[in-house]
Amino acid sequence: MSKEINERKNVGVSQEAVDQMITTRLLDDAKVRFIKTEGGFLSLETEEKKYARVKVLRLFPFTDPNRYISVRDHNDKDREIGVIEDLAAMSEETQKLIHEQLDLYYFTPVITKIFSIKDEYGYAYFHVMTDAGECKFAINMGANAVARLSDTRLLITDLDENRFEVRDVSKLTVKEQRRLDLFM
Amino acid sequence: MIEEKISPKVKDALKTSGVDVDEILASSPVDLSFEAEYLDGYLVLTQTQLALALYDKRLEEVRVFKGYMPKKKKKKVVQPPVESDVKVAIWDRAKIEDLKIEHQVATNLLVATIGGESVQLCAFTNLYLGSMNHLVKVYDNGEQIMPQEEEEDPSLFCPVCHTKYPDPKRKICPNCMSKKSIFLRALKYFTKYKFSLIVMFAGFGLSAALGLIWPYFTGSVLYGQVLEKKDVPFFEFLGLSGKHTMLLIVLVLTLLGSRVLMTLNNMVHGIVSSNIVVHAILNMKKDVFASMENLSMRFYTSKQTGTLMTRCLRDADRITGFFLDAAPALLVNTFSIIITFIVIFRMNWQMSIVAVVLLPLLVFMSVKLKPGLWILNGRRHRAESSVNSRVNDNLTGARVVRAFGQEDPETSRFEPPNEYLRDAEVRIVKYNNRFTLLYELIQQVSSIWVWVLGAFMVLNVKSMSYGDLITFVGYIGQMSGPLQSFSWMFRSWSESINAAQRMFEIIDAVPEVREDPNPIALTNPRGEIVIRDMSFGYDSNRPVLKKINLRVKPGEMLGIVGRSGAGKTTLVSLLSRLYDVDEGSIEVDGIDVKKLSFKDLRRNIAMVSQETYIFMGTVLDNIAYAREGVSRLEVIEAAKLAGAHDFISKMPDGYDTVIGSAGRQLSGGERQRISIARAIVANPKILILDEATASVDTETEKIIQTSLNRLIEGRTTLSIAHRLSTLRDAKHLIVIENGRIEEEGSREELEALGGIFHRLNQLQTKSLALKELEQDQEQEQE
Repeated sequence: MSKEINERKNVGVSQEAVDQMITTRLLDDAKVRFIKTEGGFLSLETEEKKYARVKVLRLFPFTDPNRYISVRDHNDKDREIGVIEDLAAMSEETQKLIHEQLDLYYFTPVITKIFSIKDEYGYAYFHVMTDAGECKFAINMGANAVARLSDTRLLITDLDENRFEVRDVSKLTVKEQRRLDLFM
Repeated sequence: MIEEKISPKVKDALKTSGVDVDEILASSPVDLSFEAEYLDGYLVLTQTQLALALYDKRLEEVRVFKGYMPKKKKKKVVQPPVESDVKVAIWDRAKIEDLKIEHQVATNLLVATIGGESVQLCAFTNLYLGSMNHLVKVYDNGEQIMPQEEEEDPSLFCPVCHTKYPDPKRKICPNCMSKKSIFLRALKYFTKYKFSLIVMFAGFGLSAALGLIWPYFTGSVLYGQVLEKKDVPFFEFLGLSGKHTMLLIVLVLTLLGSRVLMTLNNMVHGIVSSNIVVHAILNMKKDVFASMENLSMRFYTSKQTGTLMTRCLRDADRITGFFLDAAPALLVNTFSIIITFIVIFRMNWQMSIVAVVLLPLLVFMSVKLKPGLWILNGRRHRAESSVNSRVNDNLTGARVVRAFGQEDPETSRFEPPNEYLRDAEVRIVKYNNRFTLLYELIQQVSSIWVWVLGAFMVLNVKSMSYGDLITFVGYIGQMSGPLQSFSWMFRSWSESINAAQRMFEIIDAVPEVREDPNPIALTNPRGEIVIRDMSFGYDSNRPVLKKINLRVKPGEMLGIVGRSGAGKTTLVSLLSRLYDVDEGSIEVDGIDVKKLSFKDLRRNIAMVSQETYIFMGTVLDNIAYAREGVSRLEVIEAAKLAGAHDFISKMPDGYDTVIGSAGRQLSGGERQRISIARAIVANPKILILDEATASVDTETEKIIQTSLNRLIEGRTTLSIAHRLSTLRDAKHLIVIENGRIEEEGSREELEALGGIFHRLNQLQTKSLALKELEQDQEQEQE
C-alpha cells in the first residue's frame, strides 16, 4: 500500500490531470494496439504509454452496444483512457479481441422460446430456451425483476441477479406473448 | 444447477493430475466459459494447489437457477450419463499472490495475480457466487473455515418438506404453502364477529328465500290460481276460497311486504357487513404495521420485500372483499341455484332440460373468457399509471422543461404512452362488446326456446298452465345473475389468498436485528467505540465493509472521509444497530452493541443524517421527538443552536406549524436544521453527523458549524463529510475506500502521506475557491 501512496504523492492534482479528467479522448485505431495477455485479459499500447491490463465497457450496452466502448486502466482504478467511437471501424483483430471481452463481461442469455411461466406466492417460475441453452429460473414478482428496456425489449433478473433478456417480444409466438402479459 | 459435491469422475481426474483429493479445503462449482457459454466444472482448493476441473461437454441440457421449483415433482427421467471427459488445470498456490472475485454485469470472474499479472482463472454466474466467496475466504485465511450456515441453518429450510427456500430472505416454501391453511388463518380475522356474521348469513338466507318465492307468487299463484279463479286448499285454509278480489289484494300486499322485507334486509346487511369490514381491516393493518415497526432495516432495503409493504395495505381490502362479499355470495348463489334446479325440474322436467342445456356454455364463458377482460384491465391500469407519471414528471419538472425549451419534444414524448392508453382502452371496449354480445345472445336463445316450447305446451299439450310458464321463466331469469358472478368469485378467491399470503409473510417475518434477551444497561457511558475485524454487506455475498478495525476515544471527534458509495454511511448505521455486522464486533464502552438494550443504545446515540426524516406533526413535535418531557425552552434553545430558530419564527404558525408530508413543505436545508435541533435535544453521548451540513448554504453552515462545535464538546462524534472544511476540528480522521480504511491519522499526518486525503483536499480547495467566486458574482447580480 505504501508503494501505491508514494506513487500518488508525485502525481498530485495538476492542471494537466484535471484536464485529462474532463476531456473525452477518442481512440484512433492506427495509434493504439490491443494485445491479449496470458492471463486472458487485454493490454493496451498507446503512443505514450503501455497499460498492462485494460477493461472495456459499453457506454450504451442496450441501445448502441458496438459503439462508444470505454477503455479503462484497470491498475489505476478503472480510470478512463479513452473511448472507441465505433468498434466496427477498428481492425478485425481488435474487434475480435474486444468482442471476446465484452461477450463475457455482458453475458446475458437471450430468451428465444418460453415453455412456461408459472406465478405463485409472489414468485414466477420461468422455463425457457435461450441462445445459451435451456434454462429454468425463478424471479420475484413485484420487485421490478422484469425491466422494460423498450416497448418490445425486456430484461429479466432472477433471485441471484442473473440476467436474461427478451430481445423482441413481438417475435415470440402469440401464446408466448400471452405468458409474458403478466409483466407487460 | 450442478451439485456442490464433487462427482467421483472429477475426483478421479483430479487425482490422476496429481491433486490430493483427500485434502480439499474448499470447492465451488464453475458454470461459465471464457467464451460466454454455460459449462460444468469445479474449482478446488487444497493446501498447496488450486485446481480447475472442467467437463468438455455439458452434463445436462437444462440450467436450473436458484429458486426454481417446479410444482409437481415429475419422476426424474434417468438420462444416460453424458460421455464427457474432464480436463484439469492446476495452479501452484505458492505462486498465486492474490485471489479475488471480480463482478461483471451479471456474472463473475475469479482473478489471480501471478507474477504481478492478472490471470482469469474461471467465470461463473451469480448462482455460485456464495460458494466461490467461501473458497476465496478460505484462501485468504489460509485455513479451513466451515462453510457458513448455508447447510446447517435450519431456518433456511422448509420445516415440513425440508426443501430449501427459493429465496432465503422470504421464507416461503411453494411446495408446502397450502391454500387451506392461509384461508383458515385469514378467516380468523372475521370469526371474532360471530354475532354479526350470523346476522349476515341469516340475511343472505332470507334474501335467497325471498328470491325463490317471488317467481312462484308472480307466476303460478297470480296467473295460475288467482286470475284463473281456481280454488286451492291453501285459499280455503285462509278462508278466502272464492273471494278472488280479496285474494288478489292479499297477494299484492304479500308481494309488497316481501319487497319491503328485502329492502330492510339489505339495509341490515349493509350496516352489519360494513361494521365487520372496518374492524377486520383495522385489525389486519394493525398487525402488519406492528410487525413492520419491529423489523430491521435490512428488511426494508432488501428490494424483494420493499414493494410488499406498499401492497400489503391494499391487500387487507382484498382479503376482506373475498371473505365478506365473494365467499358468502358463492355459498348463497350455489345454494339458490341448486334449489332453483330442483324446483324447475319438479315443475316440468322436459322444459327444464331445454332451458338448462345452454347453461354449461354460459358457465364456461364466465369462467374462461371473462379473465381475458381482467388482463386487459390490468394493461389499461398500467398504461394509465404511466400516463399519470409522465404528467406528474412534467408538472414537477416544469421549470426545467421551459428552461431548456423542451416544450415540443415533451409534448411528443407524451404521445406514445397516451396512445398506448387509448389502444388499451379500445381493446377493452372491443373485448367487452364481443363478450357481452355473445353472452346475451346465448341467454336470449335459451330464453326464446323456453318461451316457444312453453307456449306450445300451454296451447296444445296442456301439460302446463300459463301461470306455471311465467313462474318457470322467472326462475330461469333469476339464475343468470349468480352464474355470471362465478368468475368474479373465483378471481376474488385467488386474489385474496395471494394477498393473505403476502400479509402473513410480513406479520410472520422475524426481525434480523433482535434485542438480546438479557440486555445490558448502559448508563452514563464514556462513549468509547471500538470496532474489531468487522465485515458487513447488505447482501452477504458482496461485502460493503471489509475487516474494519477502529478505536475512537471517549469525547473524540472522528472524521470519516471517502467518495460516495465507499461505505461511510453504512459504517455509522452499524453502530446504532440499524443492521447487524456479519463478522467481527462493534463495542461501546467495551460492551458489544448486540448485548446492549435497544433503549439505552439508541438513547445514547443520535444521528443527523443526509436523509432527513420529518414526520407529520408540528415543528415542536419534530424537535422534541428525541427525548420525552423536554421543555419548550429547551426546544427553542436547540433550534437556535441549529440555526433553525429564525426560519421557524418567521413561519406564521411558528413552532406550531404542521410540517411533514401533508403539511408545510420545507427546503432541504430547513429539514436538515430541524433534524440537527432534534439531535441537540436528544443530548446523546455519541453523536453521528452524516453529511449534516450538506444541503445548507455556506452562511448557515457556519452557524451550524459553530453550534455543532458546541454540541460535540464532551461527546464522541463521528462525522462524515464531503467538504473537508467541515472536519476542520477532527483530530482523528479515517479515509474509507472500497470498504476498507485506507488512511488513518491526524490531518497533518494524512496530508503528509500524500494519498487520497491529500488529493481530495487539493481538489476541494480549488473548487471551493471557484464556488466562492461564483457566489460573489451571484450576490453582485442580486
